[in-house]
Amino acid sequence: MASHGVPRASGVQPATDQDWRKEQQKIKDYKGLVDSLNGRIREHQFNTETFEMTSKLLKWNPEYYTLWNHRRLILRHRFQYSNSRGPNDDSPPNHEALISLISDDLVFLIPLLRKFPKCYWIWKHRRWLLDEASGLLTASETRKFWQQELALVGKMLNLDSRNFHGWGYRRTVIEALERDALQAEGLSTSMTRQEFDYTTKMINTNLSNFSAWHNRSKLIPKLLDEMKADHQVRKKFLDDELELIERALWAGPEDQSLWFYHQYLVCTFDPKYTADSMVPEITGAESMAYVRKEIMKVREMLDGAEDCKWIYQSLIHLDRLYHELGNDWFEEASHIEGYFDELTKLDSLRLGKWNDLRGRINI
Amino acid sequence: MSLVSGPGRGGASTGHVPDEIKLVVEKHVEYIQTLDTRQDELEYWLTEHLRLNGVYWGLTALHLLGHPEALPRLATIDFVLSSQHESGGFGAAPGHDAHMLYTVSAVQILGTVDALEELDRRGKAGREKVGQYIADLQSQETGSFAGDEWGETDTRFLYGALNALSLLHMLHLVDIPKAVTYIQNCANFDGGYGVSPGAESHAGQIFTCVGALAIAGRLDLVDRDRLGGWLSERQLPNGGLSGRPEKLEDVCYSWWVASSLAMIDRLHWIDRDKLSQFILQCQDSEKGGIADRPGDMVDVFHTVFGLAGLSLIGFPGLVAVDPI
Ligand SMILES: [Zn+2]
Repeated sequence: MASHGVPRASGVQPATDQDWRKEQQKIKDYKGLVDSLNGRIREHQFNTETFEMTSKLLKWNPEYYTLWNHRRLILRHRFQYSNSRGPNDDSPPNHEALISLISDDLVFLIPLLRKFPKCYWIWKHRRWLLDEASGLLTASETRKFWQQELALVGKMLNLDSRNFHGWGYRRTVIEALERDALQAEGLSTSMTRQEFDYTTKMINTNLSNFSAWHNRSKLIPKLLDEMKADHQVRKKFLDDELELIERALWAGPEDQSLWFYHQYLVCTFDPKYTADSMVPEITGAESMAYVRKEIMKVREMLDGAEDCKWIYQSLIHLDRLYHELGNDWFEEASHIEGYFDELTKLDSLRLGKWNDLRGRINI
Repeated sequence: MSLVSGPGRGGASTGHVPDEIKLVVEKHVEYIQTLDTRQDELEYWLTEHLRLNGVYWGLTALHLLGHPEALPRLATIDFVLSSQHESGGFGAAPGHDAHMLYTVSAVQILGTVDALEELDRRGKAGREKVGQYIADLQSQETGSFAGDEWGETDTRFLYGALNALSLLHMLHLVDIPKAVTYIQNCANFDGGYGVSPGAESHAGQIFTCVGALAIAGRLDLVDRDRLGGWLSERQLPNGGLSGRPEKLEDVCYSWWVASSLAMIDRLHWIDRDKLSQFILQCQDSEKGGIADRPGDMVDVFHTVFGLAGLSLIGFPGLVAVDPI
């Protein structure tokens, strides 16, 4: 569909006759295989040979979504067969056969995922297999599958720590493991802390990982709720996060992922967001004290980083918030005007934004 | 009639970039017209699963270029109808299974060439059934939409559903408030939206969520300054736009980022001149078509989104586009 990052061929290279003939042969092979497979599916020939044809074509072209549907039809047919096999109707369903059908298909997908990590249809098929497993197998049998998935998705994210399919799949896996644990053992085994620690690990490997910072922002409120954290514990948690991001910002003041996370933490003090923040009961006075401290800390970062637009941007944001909280300005008008002047120089792409915001401020 | 949507082949590289680059309207028209003549290329067949999208992209590009007549109207309608199933849904091409993505493209194409009534006249299923096919994919429980009977929900499907249903005047078939609640569950602290609840903000998903809210008449729910701030930071020094922080620029985001900004009245928060320069640099000025980045292979997908981006920022010589 969309080609990304493929260099344009330099100059026109007329194909030789031989190249052309080769290409026509390939087209014939491909179309022949597709037609023959479609015919077999129409006739409900859900046998091994038909299944192998879907494998061959999907390795060639995993974006061909109809082929995945064909494959699922055959698999469902096989599941039914395994599930009802036995000398009479009273014999238990053959879980071993089901387990091997599902795990074989999961194995089939691994090289495809490695080669096409951004293909929606492959991830979709994997989710489908796991959902089928949940429906057909016992909770403890399914749990083994989900645990393998957690290991797999960890590997995928090591290869590309920003793959949003991978992060999404990871959330699915965690949800399933928590749900299955509840079913199997009757106790709630939250993995929130473990996942929170995972984001710390990913951030320590690469500070610029917006995906990890994002996931962290989603986990914190859940974690604090599960800890039944009181106001003081929540404030302490916030302090630790502010300290973490401050250290990161000193290391990489140009890194927008970090500033977006900083903005997330600062949301806590903004009455518009406080209720959903990690310290929902924070008072106006507490917020003002925090914002004052943040302004001073961010201002210090200017030393040696006078060209960093993010610092001015953050200071304007904090100054506006302080004003909203208490009607006073913490910094002098000339300072804030100065920040806008710097942004006009340093961030000319977003001049329209700075003009808008400047126009709205009445110092 | 069908268009190849795969990458073009053998476009000559321009060598150097002149200071003043022109939009090569005629070349782009020719490029789109010849896409369907490439049946002797394997790539043409390997991209058949995108044919109906490709037709929509090519057709829209031609409309933006002011040459709506450049693709034969009747043949276009015939091809669309030939991809329909009894269920009302459409596949990517004849023989491909029905899916939301292609059903939306089919409705969009028929809407563009003013032929929605053809569904009732000679479709395998009429307008009512097409609307019902889409509506049945909504989850009663969450308000989200699946792509087909095999599950998988994604905000792309939700937007597509609302878009197609509004073209069909059948929004009453679905639970709009539930869909809106679902979108709100996909919102993030940075003002953006992800592909599902919990997922990180991504410019493509922001477009689908903001677009869906616009159709639902609920743009009041968007945190405009915060989202506008995040979106405007997608512009990189070379003028191009990226989809997420720390990612490279890409022409297709010209559309997703810029139209989202337009919907929340913040289009002036990016440098439009620099964006148009970037898009123009991605043209193949000899053979037509637009690529993801300067010097890369062109394709119809980036061609239409590049042109739509240019049109949105008021580039002269293009027909004006609606951000939704
Ligand atoms: Zn792109």
